[in-house]
Amino acid sequence: MALHTETPSRASGPQPEQAQDRRGALIQTEALASLLAAIVGERGVLARPSELSAYSSDGLPGYRLRPRLAVFPHTTQQLVDVVRLLARKQCPFVARGAGTGLSAGALARGDAVVVGLNRLNRIISIDPLNRLAVVEPGAVNVTLSRAAGAYGLHYAPDPSSQTACTIGGNVAENSGGPHCLKYGVTLNHVVALKVILPSGEITTLGNADGEAEGYDLLGAFVGSEGCFGIALEVTVRLTPNPQGVRTLLADFTSIDAGARATSAIIAAGILPAALEMMDGPTIRAVEASIYAAGYPADASAVLLIELDGMDEGLDADVQRVEAHCLAAGARTVRIAANEEERTRLWQGRKKAFGAMGRIAPDLVVQDAVIPRTRLPDVLREIAAIAELRQIQVCNVFHAGDGNLHPNIGYDSRNPDESRRVGLAMRDIMQACIDAGGTITGEHGVGLDKLEYMPKIFSPESLAAQCALRDAFDPERRANPGKVVPVHSCREWVGA
Amino acid sequence: MGGRVSTVRVQERVREHVARGAPVRIVGRGGWLDGGRPVDDFEPLSLADDRAIVEYVAGDLTLTARAGTTLSDIAAATGAEGQWLALDPFGSRNGTLGATIATGSAGPLAHAFGTPRDTVLGLEVVTGGGEIVRAGGRVVKNVAGFDLTRLFTGAWGTLAVITEATVRLRARPERDETVALLVPADGALGDWLARLRILPFTPLALEMVNSPLSATLGLEPAALLLARLGGNDDAVRAQRQLLGALGDMRDVPASVWSTLATAEPNGASVARVSAPPSRLHAIWPVLSRIDAGSLAHATVGRGVVRSICAPSDDGNGQRWLAAIGTCEGTHIFERLPARAWRTIPCRVDDPISRAVRTAFDPARILNRGILGEVA
Repeated sequence: MALHTETPSRASGPQPEQAQDRRGALIQTEALASLLAAIVGERGVLARPSELSAYSSDGLPGYRLRPRLAVFPHTTQQLVDVVRLLARKQCPFVARGAGTGLSAGALARGDAVVVGLNRLNRIISIDPLNRLAVVEPGAVNVTLSRAAGAYGLHYAPDPSSQTACTIGGNVAENSGGPHCLKYGVTLNHVVALKVILPSGEITTLGNADGEAEGYDLLGAFVGSEGCFGIALEVTVRLTPNPQGVRTLLADFTSIDAGARATSAIIAAGILPAALEMMDGPTIRAVEASIYAAGYPADASAVLLIELDGMDEGLDADVQRVEAHCLAAGARTVRIAANEEERTRLWQGRKKAFGAMGRIAPDLVVQDAVIPRTRLPDVLREIAAIAELRQIQVCNVFHAGDGNLHPNIGYDSRNPDESRRVGLAMRDIMQACIDAGGTITGEHGVGLDKLEYMPKIFSPESLAAQCALRDAFDPERRANPGKVVPVHSCREWVGA
Repeated sequence: MGGRVSTVRVQERVREHVARGAPVRIVGRGGWLDGGRPVDDFEPLSLADDRAIVEYVAGDLTLTARAGTTLSDIAAATGAEGQWLALDPFGSRNGTLGATIATGSAGPLAHAFGTPRDTVLGLEVVTGGGEIVRAGGRVVKNVAGFDLTRLFTGAWGTLAVITEATVRLRARPERDETVALLVPADGALGDWLARLRILPFTPLALEMVNSPLSATLGLEPAALLLARLGGNDDAVRAQRQLLGALGDMRDVPASVWSTLATAEPNGASVARVSAPPSRLHAIWPVLSRIDAGSLAHATVGRGVVRSICAPSDDGNGQRWLAAIGTCEGTHIFERLPARAWRTIPCRVDDPISRAVRTAFDPARILNRGILGEVA
């Protein structure tokens, strides 16, 4: 990763000056603010540096980019009018939900306008018979599950930030969460999108009323990190609440043992709803915080395992999981006795990042995926990297998917420490790539992972990704400079 | 032949065709040659010999294979480890992995496991521009870059030739049993389907078959619901109890699923009509009784009815098309007589699809015309 405090030096795509040159007369910022205010009202446009400060960063520390302006539509029509205005003025823009992303993907360089979607937060409809919901892009993830709860349903993707992050942001990032091990990621739950393309055209992708035919443009749009357009309405599939849930906590005296237990459970064909791992430093950070969950503070690792489904048959699977954990060296395997205990165990996991935040001024949350059988090797390698670079890594992650989140607390005011953190992150990414993995499982590429894209994709493959983007946004005005490092692409033959 | 060498050979073939402006028809084992619209003036590009499992890590539940690998090859390898590729498209199990992904084909197991778009983790392709492109990866969760994997899946080979794929596997359930229930009369169907949908478990498959199809499957000639139940002993026992409360239930041999996969006669016309599952009761009576011989089956949880019209000279094809036309829903045609395609709208004539096609197959040489696209 790179730690930036101003314009990112490696950001691809044209920089503001180049953009001005290429696109001819770029409208004056003040005039643009007035035109935007005519659509959303004076209070819906931020222009002063002090006001824009909050939109100069996202959930990932180390990056700050001040946008040109920020605009906040209240209605879908206002959003449409804003995008069409920006199209007429050839102005780049960055759609932003709650800003909880962890790849600097929602940051806008100086020539781009932030389009804030958090005021478009309605749940438009819930169809319990067909288990579908239609929401606006700014609807907060957890509010959908709460609303669907009245029908015995929920929205399955549950990122740790689900109390704040938006469905539109989830669509952009193809977000996951602990329970996507069994239920799938956002892609598997979005059935249709009404989107506005950067050109201002409105189109529908997917089909909420049946099978989709033609190219899977919906699948392409989900996870496109705001580079293909903005979702106006999102139709998602809702999932029935399981009849029974069993939550287990297994504790280990070594990370290696926890990793072996994970591999054994997956290889045995058991499909838990979630299989999460936290290492010793994470456990102690959680237990020292207000989110203390009752994890054994002397453990080197815990696995939080959830099984769900029909009541009948669940206990047999619980026994198999317990046996695998004990065989791998678990000291104890505890089953949550009631909903209160389950909630507490999960709160510790979901608030682990927050708990870590209190032991260092800055926290980098990393994201990579490895084949699940390689967990023990790669975790050992991460420990060696931490020792080499003299940093503290806290691992809290989706072990069942092989989706690692090595987190590093540090003080960004200390240049040497920042440098070592950056080096460690590169080492960790390389270790994951060498293990046959990938550079991001749910946080996205954004700006932060741009430098790693050429490590996993050939120039031809990167060019193909650019070609897909160009089908949606030939001017590359939506979230410019993100996801694909254009300079690494081989010129696209025939494009 | 296999691996990198065969990919480069495909690349050379594609480039040679681009240079000549000569279209190619991508062919696996030939099971889909009558699928989609007619492709004229083509030379075949066969991937049937590119048949190898490249990597199978049972502990990761992932498998990478060359495009010409058959589904039965994969079933044999994974079955030995108690795993399976949970895709059961209609047709022979000698169909290839590449064709299954390219056509986005799924069968009854889609009820629980989804379609190829939910199963494919990564692809290697040769684009119509002659470039070797890798999309996705070999891990089960991946958001690195724009999702070309989804784009190429179900594109019917019009954007790229799939040469290799990595797929997610599933563990075979401890128990895998199939039962059949009588489908009630039309008037009671809506309530009955609603009760099915709220069962507190997801069967591996839940497929209604009409009376002629039941007879073809060797079952009693009545409209039946086939339910494939999976899980451990306790779970399957409980599932049987719950289903049994919905009607008279009897065991059915597991072979019914492979028989269903190949039940349609050669030369048949096939269409799928889909609607929100809550409307299935409205379209099923129409499509399940078009005439005495037409076969129909429906994936209950997905609201998809697949209707099969046997070939004949007595004009039944027109009646069949007309009956489908009366059903509200999304109509997708798999196989039709060549002349009938003229009335079916093209699904890739929107500006984005056209731009995608131009970007990936600028010379329009791959499976030209199969989706009805205008050159």
